[in-house]
Amino acid sequence: MTRTWNTSRRHFLRGAAGALVPLPFLNIMENTAAKNLAGEVEAPLRFMTLFKPNGVHPPSWNINGGTESDFRMSPLMAPFSKHKDDLLILDNMGDFGFSSHANSARRFLAGQSNNTKAASMDQFIADKIGGDTPTRSLELTTEGLFTNQIGCSYISYDQKGDPIPRESDPQLIFDRLFRNPMGDPAQRKKMTNLLDRVSDDAKSIQRKSGREDSETLDEYFTVLRETEQRLENMGDTSAATKVDFTKLKRPLPAANLDEQVETMLDLVALAMWTDQTRCISYMLGNSNSRMIFDFLGVTEQHHYLSHFFRNFSRHNIDGLLKISLWHMEKFDYLLTKLKSYKDHNGTLLDNSIVLFGSGMGHSDNHTAQRIPIVLAGNGGGRLKTGRYLRYSENQDLSRLHLTLMRQFGVDIPSYGEATEALPGLDGGEFDQFEERPFDSWTKVEGGKLTVQGRLRMSENLDEAKVFYMDVAGQDSVRIEIEFRDFHSFNFPYHVGTPITLTGTVSEKNGRQVMSKISTLKSVFGNSKPGTRNG
Amino acid sequence: MQHRCFGRYWGLKFKSSFLCLIAVGLCFSPMLAQADFEHEVLPFLEKHCVKCHGGEKTKGDVDLSKIKTMADADSHPDLWETVSFVLEDREMPPEDEAQPTEEEVAVFSKWYKNDYLGKIESKPGIFQPRRLSGPEYRNTMRSLFGFDLEVNVVEAEQTITEKSLVMKLLPTDPPGASGFVNDTRAARLSTTIWDQYSYLADFALEQFSSERTGPLNSETAEKLVRDFVPRAFRRPVSEDRFSGILKKLEGKSGDALEVALKAELKTVLMSPAFLYRGFLMPTDPKRKRQPVDDFELAERLSYFIWEDMPDRELFEIAGSGELKQPEVMAAQIDRMIASPKSRTLAESFGSQWLLLDQIKDQRNDPVNLKALKNQPLDFLHYLFAENRPVMELVDSKVTFANDITAKYYGNDRKQLKRVNKPKGVERMATPNQKIDLITSVGERGGIITMPGVLAMNEGPIQRGTWMLRQLLGEHLGEPPPDIPPIQSSSKGKNLSFRERFEQHRSDKSCALCHDKIDPLGFALEGYNKAGDVIRKEPTKKKGGIEKVSKVDTSGQMPNGKAFANFTELKSILMTDEREKITRNAIEQTMAYALCRKLERGDRPTVDALTTKILDENGTWRDLIHGIANSVPFRETLNVKKTLAK
Repeated sequence: MTRTWNTSRRHFLRGAAGALVPLPFLNIMENTAAKNLAGEVEAPLRFMTLFKPNGVHPPSWNINGGTESDFRMSPLMAPFSKHKDDLLILDNMGDFGFSSHANSARRFLAGQSNNTKAASMDQFIADKIGGDTPTRSLELTTEGLFTNQIGCSYISYDQKGDPIPRESDPQLIFDRLFRNPMGDPAQRKKMTNLLDRVSDDAKSIQRKSGREDSETLDEYFTVLRETEQRLENMGDTSAATKVDFTKLKRPLPAANLDEQVETMLDLVALAMWTDQTRCISYMLGNSNSRMIFDFLGVTEQHHYLSHFFRNFSRHNIDGLLKISLWHMEKFDYLLTKLKSYKDHNGTLLDNSIVLFGSGMGHSDNHTAQRIPIVLAGNGGGRLKTGRYLRYSENQDLSRLHLTLMRQFGVDIPSYGEATEALPGLDGGEFDQFEERPFDSWTKVEGGKLTVQGRLRMSENLDEAKVFYMDVAGQDSVRIEIEFRDFHSFNFPYHVGTPITLTGTVSEKNGRQVMSKISTLKSVFGNSKPGTRNG
Repeated sequence: MQHRCFGRYWGLKFKSSFLCLIAVGLCFSPMLAQADFEHEVLPFLEKHCVKCHGGEKTKGDVDLSKIKTMADADSHPDLWETVSFVLEDREMPPEDEAQPTEEEVAVFSKWYKNDYLGKIESKPGIFQPRRLSGPEYRNTMRSLFGFDLEVNVVEAEQTITEKSLVMKLLPTDPPGASGFVNDTRAARLSTTIWDQYSYLADFALEQFSSERTGPLNSETAEKLVRDFVPRAFRRPVSEDRFSGILKKLEGKSGDALEVALKAELKTVLMSPAFLYRGFLMPTDPKRKRQPVDDFELAERLSYFIWEDMPDRELFEIAGSGELKQPEVMAAQIDRMIASPKSRTLAESFGSQWLLLDQIKDQRNDPVNLKALKNQPLDFLHYLFAENRPVMELVDSKVTFANDITAKYYGNDRKQLKRVNKPKGVERMATPNQKIDLITSVGERGGIITMPGVLAMNEGPIQRGTWMLRQLLGEHLGEPPPDIPPIQSSSKGKNLSFRERFEQHRSDKSCALCHDKIDPLGFALEGYNKAGDVIRKEPTKKKGGIEKVSKVDTSGQMPNGKAFANFTELKSILMTDEREKITRNAIEQTMAYALCRKLERGDRPTVDALTTKILDENGTWRDLIHGIANSVPFRETLNVKKTLAK
């Protein structure tokens, strides 16, 4: 995809490793770390998470076949496939049933949607490591609040399980990190000068005024005095920062969503590199995002398009995939950025764990199964990347979270419903998905066709709402059903697995087409995945 | 009625009904000799009131035992209106106490009207500078810099974002004693607010410099300073002040000049002269009372009508010394009302007065919410800007609706032009269109029965209270803390909520307020929670037979006027209650314009304007002109107080 929308307005930190950054940056963090850790040079471990709204179009996302180390990345993964060696792609993540949008947002970092009285995992991590940096953590997003279902707008939750306010403006984040008047000696000096000047102003008003101004002026003078006091109290405590932030150029206002997100990702990397914070969560949109990606030439709302079965047309599928690819490109952008910064003996990515993904799988049917989850960065050797882990059973995200939190030193016995860590992330043993042999056949009985075989979604985007049953030695049976059957039998849940399907067939263009389902039975798994976590 | 809050108000409002006033007026014309406070009024108070309101017992925090002379009486301006009201309405003394005779009450009323109110003279309030409110600061920064300070965020449909950086960062101002947030005397400056001002000033100056075209040198910098500083202070600036600033820029160029200029402009933006209104007006210490100068007058006008600093035209006219010429002033007011900026009258004044911020959508859907909120705002803006009669607030043949609110307007909705949603857009807020109310005028004309307004008040009591307080201007006390719960229907009796509530109301202390609240509220029982018209009460099943009864919307006003439904109540509001509603509209507008609670000296202005608007079926524009030309708006008292410290 050509990125014609990439203008040159956002140049404040282009050329990550320093080409355009007028700073003697290269070894600064290494020195700081050496001092902080009394001789022991150990890079700090960082955590970042990037949330993708509205699930995925599964045939474009899922990896089907391949092994742990020998696999081919899917079409949607193409934008970040160059980072394959730094990735840990997890499959069969999630649980049974369907997921609302609000639940998908909660699930993403809280493991289960009903884990509503606990902090999300990023906040546990921030509690553990946030005290070492000026800013404990950042919670970022892209769009406004969706108030009908407020849960759609938050992935980070505090210890009570309440949503944490998020910030979307890169300039505000830049200012918070690098322009805090209390944090920087140069800024403090400016404020002191200002106080002197406005105090003169106020005094001259006081001299001239014969009215009842004194009370109002008193309140003004009090604030000046208190501010002065605060500046004095700051003393030299925060002068330890070695980086001259005044030389960082403030980002310009973004011209469009793409610039806004890339600028924010620039800041994410910069904040990590300058060790302003070590924990950041970032939503690329609300979990039911209605954003319009006009800069991609897509004029329909993302949420509308994500219901690609109901709102099917080739045009709509193309729009949806353009948006999904854009999300993947932003993930790539972040990884590329993190790799371009030197950090101690490696890159910033080497000393980070990045969690990318969504809270639901199929974007139309809202399955809570096969949720896209990718880890990036080996976390200073804690993860073994370059692999594709397809678990034999559905794995609650809470198991993943428990494992990651422990990597950061969070000492908890359980999280959500998970009491055991998710195996395999560090290269250890895990229960791999294995194909089991099954028979495939068709039979006709009482005017109905029964077919046993593997269910798959069409990969032909012109007919993206069509399914096929693959039967050995025969033509696949084409399935064209209405939304009602698609949803009530939870078709997307069974995709890729063997099922026995009975239904009404008719002939279309000389081919058997099943158009109405009467029963669906899973050969090995649950026939009725249920509605848990609805 | 232990729960009435005595002295909550400033002593102007006639709580009595119009009829009552006439009766009193007939019996005791102002021609009669004045009553003597110490010999006639004081004995009355001692006989009937002091037992509960004096000495050991001071029910309702009212202590009459300390008032012994006319001078004492004058020093309690808030008190007498309430006393007069409870006597005339026979609310006090309580029923189980000895009742004063008609003649006794009349003596008090005569004193109150002739000696107390009759002696009030029109005078301005004490001039006190006040900090810009959040919205005033936002608008002033916008006008000063020429751009909005905004948050960079994608505004997807159906999401809610505070786009203004000012409103996002500044703490929400609490409304002052006047009920309006521009009355900031109680919203003190704090270090939190200071830090945000500092940040906002930096933010604005950064954007200002990045958007500047053309070179920056000593010449352009001086030009900028000479333009910026007087506008920021809303009045001319001395040559001394300019040279102080220019000195700091002297000999600098390039980045150094840029940095120095920003520091100077920030000093201006953080100065009390910018952040507060009214510090710089020259006053004459020898005069106790004086007209405000032209720049202060311009500022008062523009913050009243625009919630913003004067624009260049108004500023120049103030500088020319012509603003006080009546035709110049009138033309400026008309120009300002005609400007789109006068929308703030609806969005700030109207919304705060009528509590429209409380409009919520039951499903919390931002698209619905926007539709429900914009309706009364568009309507108010129409009333204010298009010279509509004041009373059209209560009944109008015009409303504003979009595809979401259309369903409330029966056949009249057919006037709406269809707005097509773009493909792939699931929901969107479409702008309102003005429609004439033909078939639905009775049920829907005026602000009371706009769906959002109906829905923001749940049930007849809240709805009635809203009408009484916000439209009729009554100041009800808070309900007592020990309200008995409304009994559920006892076995065998199938009483409606209304019937059960009427039982409840038979309690005397409840009846005092509820006799006034309930008729208004129950008249609106024909509208459900969402503001839809219902014509049948929820069906009651009795012995398997479905009994459908009509909703009872009838009632009787305290003055005895009966009505069968809301439409009939509305015509009572338009006639019998016209004076109260008009007076309240004037008082509210005036309190907003003056940014303070009204005082005794404002009363003659309110009286005169009320008469004028009533006589001429006056419009909102007449009202605005009237206030802008009043003594309290155009003059100031110079009261020198000793320094606090």
